[in-house]
Amino acid sequence: MLRKTALNAIHRELGGELTDFGGWEMPLWYSTGSVKEHLAVIEKSGLFDIGHMDLLRIKGKKTFNLLQLCLTRDMTNLKIGACGYSMILNEQSHVVDDTIVYNLGENEYILIVNAGMGPVVRQHLEQHSTFQDVSIEDESGRFSKIDLQGPASPAIVKKLLEKGRGTIEGLRYFQFRGDYADAATEIAFAGDIPVLLSRTGYTGEVGFEIVMPYDKTLDVWNMILDAGGNDVTPCGLAARDSLRTGAVLPLSHQDIGSWPFVHTPWDFALPQDKEGRFTKSFIGSGIYDDPPALYTYPFCGFDPRKAENHGASVLLEGASIGTVSTCAIDMAIGRVEGKIYSVASPDKPASFKARGLVCGFVRVDRPLKPGSKVTLKDSRRSIEVEIVSDIRPNRTARVKI
Amino acid sequence: MKALEELDIRDDLAYTQTHEWVKITGNIARIGVDDYAQSALGDIVYVELPSVGVVANAGAAIGSLESTKAVSDLNSPVTGQIAAVNEALSDSPELVNASPYEDGWIIEVEMTDPKELDGLMKNDAYLAFVKTLAPIE
Repeated sequence: MLRKTALNAIHRELGGELTDFGGWEMPLWYSTGSVKEHLAVIEKSGLFDIGHMDLLRIKGKKTFNLLQLCLTRDMTNLKIGACGYSMILNEQSHVVDDTIVYNLGENEYILIVNAGMGPVVRQHLEQHSTFQDVSIEDESGRFSKIDLQGPASPAIVKKLLEKGRGTIEGLRYFQFRGDYADAATEIAFAGDIPVLLSRTGYTGEVGFEIVMPYDKTLDVWNMILDAGGNDVTPCGLAARDSLRTGAVLPLSHQDIGSWPFVHTPWDFALPQDKEGRFTKSFIGSGIYDDPPALYTYPFCGFDPRKAENHGASVLLEGASIGTVSTCAIDMAIGRVEGKIYSVASPDKPASFKARGLVCGFVRVDRPLKPGSKVTLKDSRRSIEVEIVSDIRPNRTARVKI
Repeated sequence: MKALEELDIRDDLAYTQTHEWVKITGNIARIGVDDYAQSALGDIVYVELPSVGVVANAGAAIGSLESTKAVSDLNSPVTGQIAAVNEALSDSPELVNASPYEDGWIIEVEMTDPKELDGLMKNDAYLAFVKTLAPIE
């Protein structure tokens, strides 16, 4: 029996193509279709039900110490009101899960982790906690999360804020305000709905992750659709997957997982100073003195043709050097004389039409330079793609609001 | 995915179990994918077309359809030379979703053995087949 989010009836009402995603019944796309949904996030905004994610609240005097031990990022840099992306590794440096960690102040933090991972991460933290005075609460069932992503989202969110509208002026990427579980919190949506409003997301575009009390989910969803009008499009998980791939963001347990977290495009989650030296030790850090020959790279092809999503071979001059972990199509991009442009690129040629490009991640046994060509081979065909340092250009995640 | 009663099923077409349709004019078979397939695949973003003159074999892959979700073979229901391909699909693959039986046709084959058509499903047989597929909500 699949679990259902607070918005399950909405998924059906909107003609959602429903699928089993980590034990949850979630929409791949609505009747709009995944291509228009993907483009909506880049051109206006898209609304996503992310009610399948888990949330842990960690409190107590030694919370900082526990997180400094169990998370890859250096928590000394995470100010109150800021959040950060981090890995949670085991002793073998395999990824237990990835997370966004929120510093609420006064020894209180929130970790948002992937679907079904709340109990796993909680157990992992408890196993490594020799600290008295730390409490870890799994708040699954009490909250819900909706993501509003795309350039129209700041204006929509401002309309909805009944309390604390000023506090999001100038809010930067990876900063947040409020707490959904605190009725007296600094920001609230119309109807006095307390929210945690975080300027983050999984699309590479400017936007917000909104955490609210579970029983207010439908109210907030409808409120956003009313306020956004034609500027907001409900989106399913297919658009979320293609947007995050184009933005070079990993999917946990697919691009990162039960193998060592070394040589990835996400090394920024490691506690390195400008010279690349680690600023702390943490669970799993032993491997970095002598990392194994395992390398993850983004790739981008020359048309939309895909290889099998995971498991297709990666060939270099005919020899197999690894496998494909993600293979998706970013429908907002295309190539002109080899160069990748997005529908959002200000310098795109007048004749540009985004026909979509295959893109994703490969995990290989040797270092490759951007510009290298490799072949993805599955049971159907072989496709030549290019190793790249970035995929979709002109993303808006960091713009000023 | 469309509900069963929403599926567009045409009397003038014959269908395969792999969801191609065939429309016969003289010895030319025009071929595309059915409403069930386009609906199940989701947005089609690329159609891999064969070249005119290539020989298609009945039941064998002659092209493919790329949706955001998956890749699906286009199998030729009949044997013969490719007489024409729908060039409009290169620029507008979404025609397969919007108009699977008309503007979204894919290839035309000059049939060498019209008896191959006997193995295809029509009307009630096709409807009965569609009903046996994975439950549609």
